[in-house]
Amino acid sequence: MSASEGFRTDLLGAIPSLRAFAVSLTQNADRADDLVQETLVKAWDKQDSFQLGTNLKAWLFTILRNEFYSQMRKRGREIQDSDGIMTARLAIHPSQHGQLDLKDFRAALEQLPEDQREAIILIGASGFSYEEAAEICGCAVGTIKSRVSRARTRLQEILQISGDEDFGPDAISAQVTGSSVR
Amino acid sequence: MKDTTKTGAGTRQAGSADALGANSEIGRKLKQYYDELVSDEVPDRFAQLLAQLEQVEPGRKKD
Repeated sequence: MSASEGFRTDLLGAIPSLRAFAVSLTQNADRADDLVQETLVKAWDKQDSFQLGTNLKAWLFTILRNEFYSQMRKRGREIQDSDGIMTARLAIHPSQHGQLDLKDFRAALEQLPEDQREAIILIGASGFSYEEAAEICGCAVGTIKSRVSRARTRLQEILQISGDEDFGPDAISAQVTGSSVR
Repeated sequence: MKDTTKTGAGTRQAGSADALGANSEIGRKLKQYYDELVSDEVPDRFAQLLAQLEQVEPGRKKD
């Protein structure tokens, strides 16, 4: 009784993070909550297989992620895999001085392939280490590193292209971008 | 292309974690985006669901 009650409390505590991750993956609040619900049911059923003392959050994120991709497959939705996609190379700019709108950022994030988006979220926002993120995604640490790096580059590209004036006058980076494209 | 990529990518690549850190615009926005999602109020349905799960299989874990 107390064991399952403790587990329930731990699950409850993880829900805000699970929802945030689910929204990041699905880009849709309703689908995200369905995904979280499915994750909780699965986690509950599998609670015996959770090893005490290990990272519950990482374990739950793994379940949620697997559920997300299996739902996508069932829907026949093609999973974006950026490994084969050529990303245009632009010079990486020093940190921006202008203000970047959160709405623009969200839109830019949506444009990323799923594998890059989840990698940058896990590392840059959810607070996982590269090793943990690799475990969650079932891939090598180096793969996570390269996805994060490509995601960052892509975001910088997108935000510069779509939100040029938000950054204010930035003659140097404009020059750099211009010259490196040619 | 030669010079700019070197200064840009070279210095940043040193610490990828740092490149997403507090002094990068992308890193800051990423956290802001995520924190907003995390602080979203959790609907009651989840607490109810867990309570139900616990009732359905109360003795699942052997004591």
